[in-house]
Amino acid sequence: MPKLRLRSAAPAFLLLAVLLTLSACGMNDYPNSTFNHTTDYNTAIDALWDRLLWWGTLVFIVVETVLVFTIIKFRKRPGGPEAKQIHGNAALEITWTVIPALILALIAIPTIKTIFETQAPAPAGSLRVQVIGHQWWWEFRYPDLGIVTANEVYVPVGRTISFELTTKDVLHSFWIPQMGGKRDLITNRTNYMWFTPSDTLKSSAWNGFCTEYCGASHANMRIRMYTVQPDEFESWARHQASPAVFNPLAPAPTPVVPANGRRAAAAPADTTPAPSSGYIFPADQLPAHVIPQTPIPAGITFDDALLAGGDATRGATQGFMLGGCIGCHAIGGVPGAVSTIGPNLTHVASRHTIASGLYRFDGPTLARWIKNARHLKPGAIMNTIGKGEYDPILKSTMTAGLDDRQIADVVAYLMSLK
Amino acid sequence: MTTSHTAAAAGHDDGHVHHHYTTTGLDHRKIAIWTFIGSECMLFASLISTYLIYKGRSIVGPFPHEAWTSETGQQFHAILDIPVTSASTFVLLMSSFAMVLALQAVQLRGTPLPANPTWWQRSQRSSQGWLLMTALLGATFLGFQAYEFTSFVHEGLTIKRNLFGSSFFTLTGFHGAHVTAGVLWLMTLLWIDRSRGLQGKNDELLVDICALYWHFVDVVWIAIFTLIYLIR
Amino acid sequence: MATIAAPTHAGAADYGEQTGIWSWITTVDHKRIGTLYLWTALSFFLIGGLEAVIIRTQLMKPNMGFVSAETYNQLFTMHGTTMVFLAIMPLSAAFFNFLIPLQIGARDVAFPRLNAFSYWVYLLGGIFITVPILFQVAPDAGWFGYAPLTSPQFAPGPNIDFWVIGLQILGVSSLAAAFNFITTIINMRAPGMTLMRMPMFTWMSFVVQFLLVLAFPPITIALVFLLFDRFFGTTFYAIAAGADPLLWQHLFWVFGHPEVYILILPAFGLVSEVLPTFSKKPLFGYNVMVYSGIMIGFLGFGVWAHHMFAVGMGAIADSIFATMTMLIAIPTGVKIFNWIATLWAGEIRFTVPMKFAIALIAMFTIGGISGVMHSSAPADLQQTDTYFVVAHFHYVLFGGSIMGIFAGIYHYYPKMTGRLMSEKIGNWHFWLTFVGFNLTFFPMHFAGLLGMPRRIYQYDSGQGWDAFNLMSTYGTYLLVVATLFFVWNFVRSRKTGAIAGNDPWGAATLEWSIPSPPPEYNFAQIPEVASRYPLWDLKDPAKTAGIEHSHADSMTITDAHAVPVHEETERKTAKELGIPMPFPTAKPLFTAVGLVTMFCGLLFLRNDMFAVAMTITLTGAAMLIGGLYAWLTAPLE
Repeated sequence: MPKLRLRSAAPAFLLLAVLLTLSACGMNDYPNSTFNHTTDYNTAIDALWDRLLWWGTLVFIVVETVLVFTIIKFRKRPGGPEAKQIHGNAALEITWTVIPALILALIAIPTIKTIFETQAPAPAGSLRVQVIGHQWWWEFRYPDLGIVTANEVYVPVGRTISFELTTKDVLHSFWIPQMGGKRDLITNRTNYMWFTPSDTLKSSAWNGFCTEYCGASHANMRIRMYTVQPDEFESWARHQASPAVFNPLAPAPTPVVPANGRRAAAAPADTTPAPSSGYIFPADQLPAHVIPQTPIPAGITFDDALLAGGDATRGATQGFMLGGCIGCHAIGGVPGAVSTIGPNLTHVASRHTIASGLYRFDGPTLARWIKNARHLKPGAIMNTIGKGEYDPILKSTMTAGLDDRQIADVVAYLMSLK
Repeated sequence: MTTSHTAAAAGHDDGHVHHHYTTTGLDHRKIAIWTFIGSECMLFASLISTYLIYKGRSIVGPFPHEAWTSETGQQFHAILDIPVTSASTFVLLMSSFAMVLALQAVQLRGTPLPANPTWWQRSQRSSQGWLLMTALLGATFLGFQAYEFTSFVHEGLTIKRNLFGSSFFTLTGFHGAHVTAGVLWLMTLLWIDRSRGLQGKNDELLVDICALYWHFVDVVWIAIFTLIYLIR
Repeated sequence: MATIAAPTHAGAADYGEQTGIWSWITTVDHKRIGTLYLWTALSFFLIGGLEAVIIRTQLMKPNMGFVSAETYNQLFTMHGTTMVFLAIMPLSAAFFNFLIPLQIGARDVAFPRLNAFSYWVYLLGGIFITVPILFQVAPDAGWFGYAPLTSPQFAPGPNIDFWVIGLQILGVSSLAAAFNFITTIINMRAPGMTLMRMPMFTWMSFVVQFLLVLAFPPITIALVFLLFDRFFGTTFYAIAAGADPLLWQHLFWVFGHPEVYILILPAFGLVSEVLPTFSKKPLFGYNVMVYSGIMIGFLGFGVWAHHMFAVGMGAIADSIFATMTMLIAIPTGVKIFNWIATLWAGEIRFTVPMKFAIALIAMFTIGGISGVMHSSAPADLQQTDTYFVVAHFHYVLFGGSIMGIFAGIYHYYPKMTGRLMSEKIGNWHFWLTFVGFNLTFFPMHFAGLLGMPRRIYQYDSGQGWDAFNLMSTYGTYLLVVATLFFVWNFVRSRKTGAIAGNDPWGAATLEWSIPSPPPEYNFAQIPEVASRYPLWDLKDPAKTAGIEHSHADSMTITDAHAVPVHEETERKTAKELGIPMPFPTAKPLFTAVGLVTMFCGLLFLRNDMFAVAMTITLTGAAMLIGGLYAWLTAPLE
């Protein structure tokens, strides 16, 4: 009878599926797998998980097999035995209450142990990273290093990273699946989480996600974490802590009065973009899964040819102000650009992604983002800057704003902020 | 096999009530009021828990038990007035006593007065009097609450002001709404008593379930008074 | 199983009952109200299913772009809200209504008009919370609406207003029904039916009513706080005032966890009716099954914060809730074993209801195992808010509750309608459901543990989730086909199904001793019950020889008018039998409309349309008070 064959095959098939998948959980195929041992945190969790999986599989096999066996053996058959009128059996019932209780005790004890271990205060000497959630981007601060950045976070391997998590608006949750468990960001509270990337890890890039529903673009609130070697991290951190490398608006340095009393001529303002001097994760080594593939939605145009002619100085001195950018974005060293409403852009060009990991950081994408962020990212709080663009939240067309040429200037400026 | 059910079913004592067989011997409404009170316990437990969770966490005053000066120099004193609230608590407790007497009066209806009754024995049978007394004492309590709420608002504590204001007014407001519903219920019973007289098992039950509700509302107030007013 | 007369199909008219729409609007008959719940809940089940189909189509491929983010967020919110509050709970209510009085040997529930009121409030509340999606203003903060996302600062539109008010309306319906059923079960049992002789469905439903009474007030208060914040400017969830978002979470989950037991226990009860019937032997360990149900209900109030392992409650709280959650797995597991033991040494007939009941055992086991995996707090930090937990709760809610409810529908359809559903179509429904369900939800275990978060309208390619999502979507389409078979079977069998007679299955309990469908008055004579399996006592005493029986003179619960359990096949009207029936009345509907109108008025407050709001609310209040007055002063029968 077909139904019996299917039923008896079911548990075997499912078991096979479980085993196959376990064996297939390689890092390349499943780049966000929670099963890898890259930190002390996920190693501890995975040890618990192994116990849960083995007990779970055992219970599954036993229960389902007994069930399937029972319905086959005791199916009504012509000439088969009559049903036995059994009402209960105390010994059996006690046994199958005690055995699960024992199994659960074997799970409970390591669980409680791991809870206390992973929630102990972070070890001394940890690197403090503050994670501040916003709709729909991540603010990262390294208070001991004077760094403020957004969406992409660098951490050194072999050192404990101690996260201090909070949010400025609604609830969010910080999760890098390959690093460990998640922790929620709760308004009016600070939460704590720490882990130590293994010192055998070679420099890698990881995806992270917001895992507490936070509104329209919850799906688009992504993180890039880079676990790098300590010297790479030092280089990166030193650079990130410095003001913007290209700053036409920097106040002129105070002239030094030389001993002979004659003042030197004032140094001219810096108008040439400087090359980056800090470590960033090499673009050509980025694994495929951290490179965003999100397509730009239809309905937005930009003349990419204008990008080549974009003037960074004009972008810094005019576009950045005219577009209203200074109202939300801080750039280290730029007078008046101190707002923390939006991501800090001091070294934005040292990032590989924009819009919180949603799109790639390149000229054409940046141009379209500036032109109509709300079109590219539902609900984005960033204003629609492109003149003539339709704002989906205000439901009206912008009569004021930047034209494509001005946007090209701003793009050139931002791309100079390495 | 008997086919006629109603003939042997217990008779129509008052109005339209059929005395059906019940498993416990209790009227359905008696059991239902207890389940209702069960849900109300959880309702007030949630409200009181919220108050206690937010206790001490308001960013701005006024505060319940201590004075506070705002950034602009405005002075607020401790807003809860224990003596006045003690008086209103007493009034509510007395109303429960009146309720007990009202129920007893309905139960005594139809029993003969003893010879040479004392004024107390006569007044024990005044269900209208005791129902009215309960309602009046309840209304007096509500009057105290109205006075308290308006004076708090006057002193700067509104329901929007801070966590204390929101949780306090919501909790005591819900309680006051329950007292109000109870007063309306009592007035309805009073009106029935005046129009056709309350007598017999069914009417005793009506007064009994009202009494249960009234006592419950009183017990909730004891909890609120203790946890919010008395304990700092 | 022999009946006295050859069964022919009986309609309401045969029993002198009214027919036509007005009779349905004014009904206070628990059987009709149960039927109303069933049809309405199945309709909402289809709506919730359609929402799921759109969700799964959007998730079929990375960056699919089938629906916008806003639409998707409304869809997943409404899918959860619809399935929990408008489908599964009312499907259980359909069975509470139809079955409980029949199982305990009563003629109706304790408060028939309150019963009707509960239904109408549910219907109106369901419409209230569903219609907004047609205008793209459906609630969009998830079925659990965490603060402060739902506060006026972050949700300025009307979407959340519909959600808050809609849930409050539905809460009234559930609470009123709970008061009704508790009173009914405590106070209206037939003579001889002690609590430990009640059928398992009635027992599990009894526990559920207590859960409803105690769990709904916390969410009522949580919603009151949100309502006050949104309409009156209070500070319960206001960030600037220093509010704690965890207040909402605690209040919600103190409700939310007992809620999941509210969702599963009735299905457990139905399975406990079906398995013994088709194994031809009694339920194994009845006492333990009752006690474990009570324990689950009780412990269910002690585990709520296992939904909050990621919020940072601290190691001690995490440990306590982890342990309590593991503890509750024990009474739950015991039920699985007792069911298997019921099957053991039986003569198993694989009818469609039996297949669904066995499927519940198999699928709930999987859901229970993933549940234990969640209970380990540190491990849960990799599982919560991912598709792993989506897999878990669909295994217990679909693989558990829905499978059990389908078992109940196939099992009790003959009793409700007098005709059997088609076994052939039923088998198609079952197998397509079984395969489709597993194909949809099993891959989600993997997607979750391989990093896929929940509640995301789009995901990027190259994340390792593509294959699992594709499988889940195909499974969903298979479920659509399966459901079509069910709808066809359900609708068609009313006219073409085989005539059922009193007891088509050879079951043990009182509801099978009366005609199908039952007459208005249920029992011509209230039966006197001597054991847990009154009908097997009557028809097959060998089956029940092993359990205790009471005799008339030793019974403590008595009613002079009760007679020993017997089969009833005569078709007399209530009038002929002299049984007083409650008057049909539209007052419960009128009162329900008044109540819902009052709530509707609130909607206008936020747009500064104060006069409009007041007018509507006061009109509603007048209807409510008028309706209540008329209702309370009118005699029941």
